[in-house]
Amino acid sequence: MTWLSWREQRTETLLALGLLALLAALLVPVGLHLETLYRQDNVAACLTQATEACHQAMGNFGNGAGALRSVLTWLTLLPGLLGAALAAPIILDLESGASVFAWTQGVTRTRWLATRLGVALLTSLAAAGALTLLVTWYRRPLDSAFGRFDNGVFDLEGTVPLAYAAFALGLGLAVGVVWRRTALSLIVGFLAYVGSRVFVDSWLRERYEAPLGATWGIRQPEPALRGAWILSSGPSDKAGHPFTGGFQVIESCARGVGGGIKSVDPACLARHGAGFNHAIYQPASRFWLFQGIETALFGGLAIVLIGFAAWWLLSRVE
Amino acid sequence: MTPALETHGLGRRYGSKWALRDCTLEIPRGSVTALVGPNGAGKTTLLRLAVGLARPSAGTVRVLGLEPRADAAELLPRIGFVAQEHPLFGSFTVAEMLRTGSKLNPTWDDEAARRRIAELDLPLDQKVKSLSGGQRAQVALTLALAKRPELLLLDEPVASLDPLARLEFLQSVLEVVSDGELTVVLSSHIVADLERVCDHLVILSVGRTQLAGSIEEILASHRLLTGPRDEAADVARTHEVLRESHVERQTTLLVRGGAHVYDSRWTVHELGLEEIVLAYLGQGSGRRRETVAS
Repeated sequence: MTWLSWREQRTETLLALGLLALLAALLVPVGLHLETLYRQDNVAACLTQATEACHQAMGNFGNGAGALRSVLTWLTLLPGLLGAALAAPIILDLESGASVFAWTQGVTRTRWLATRLGVALLTSLAAAGALTLLVTWYRRPLDSAFGRFDNGVFDLEGTVPLAYAAFALGLGLAVGVVWRRTALSLIVGFLAYVGSRVFVDSWLRERYEAPLGATWGIRQPEPALRGAWILSSGPSDKAGHPFTGGFQVIESCARGVGGGIKSVDPACLARHGAGFNHAIYQPASRFWLFQGIETALFGGLAIVLIGFAAWWLLSRVE
Repeated sequence: MTPALETHGLGRRYGSKWALRDCTLEIPRGSVTALVGPNGAGKTTLLRLAVGLARPSAGTVRVLGLEPRADAAELLPRIGFVAQEHPLFGSFTVAEMLRTGSKLNPTWDDEAARRRIAELDLPLDQKVKSLSGGQRAQVALTLALAKRPELLLLDEPVASLDPLARLEFLQSVLEVVSDGELTVVLSSHIVADLERVCDHLVILSVGRTQLAGSIEEILASHRLLTGPRDEAADVARTHEVLRESHVERQTTLLVRGGAHVYDSRWTVHELGLEEIVLAYLGQGSGRRRETVAS
């Protein structure tokens, strides 16, 4: 039965392996390069200093990550593709009628289902896990310099990619067992995956815990928000209320023209409700808490969806 | 010994439509039974209920004394089923299908399966989806037989085949039947296909059992009577009239029952199986009356 499950999803498994190999070929050289850069520029030492030289070094290092960094944001779709792809062979059996053959052999439908779902789920988790390890290894220097809490990084590290993959598998299965049209079910399932992810990324995630706020004067050094997820930041008054005045306020507080920020009178700014910066953020220490919440959320949905698909296959499909 | 297949008031409803209704029949072990009826008569539904693919909406079905759904683990290894269109894993080679069969069936006879594939000259390394319809049917039958089943159920096994493949397939079934105590049920809407192979007959029409019994008995108990039109009512009292037609003063009756007709004005003809089946299938939509005015 296990052999059959592997044989049935051979194409999809090879596809996943191929994708991961391609990704490794892209990421490994860049990862090695980043590591060298990180050591050469002594970036680690700069994390606690704010000198001009360090500012330069950090910028230089950030640029070293190259174009790959922006491309990598798209990788967050990959767990969804993997999950949906592994739902495909099961739906295909229903569509082609091969399930009728499978269910009239010497093993019960329950056992067939348990093995097929188990192998598909394990494969999705393994593939998502490999992706996570690869990205996390490649990003190690970047993570220690810039943190890993931002959207697009958070979703490729920790445990959430595994939950995403299981969720996408569940979506593909749930739609597919009811509809029994492989291609259409997978497209609909994948779109639903993207929709849920966009909703969570852009709205829900920042609300898992009430964010913290920090206020500091414009001449003071930035507080230690390293690795935090900055939700918003901007000029404010001393209490942290956002500055609502226009440019003319700043202009009127300037002692002369052309002197830049140093020519502005802080006392004048403070009188007009400015002179400070305020940031709303989720601290880096909450990374694993948020990972846990989001893993439980998508993992829970995955269990419900896969459970529904199994129930439907056992009791509603002939 | 319990019958191979036994149903009691069996019915299956899809939405508000009954695909099979009030079906009561008994198929003895060792028999080769033809399940005949027009398309939509409920043949496929009956077979799917028997192998546990579907659940009954009413009544009971027992196969080899077991309940198909509840006792699936015990029953499934003991029955072979070839569904309509012979579904298999299209992307598998014939060899991989055999391996699938061996993995899924505890009683698998690998040697017999390979021998059969070799005898039929089927290419082991060819993908199932590139086989011809006849070849695929043979692979499906081989897989079902390699389970060494006690009961073999074939749903419209030849409907999708060309005449030559049809003949070859039925020949294979004949060979299988001749050596062993295997019980076979095969459905079809073409009687001529089955007459050579089967010894029992079940006629299903509009979701109900119209007739069930051994072919020998069925042939012996059905006759065609021709006689004067005005005496038809007398004959009808002692026979079950399935079909009557009239030409001028002459009446032709297709009857069931062995009672002797003493009146010498009546002539008695033996009937072929196909004519009997057609008479019953016509009856499904109310008794047929054919009156030809001259």
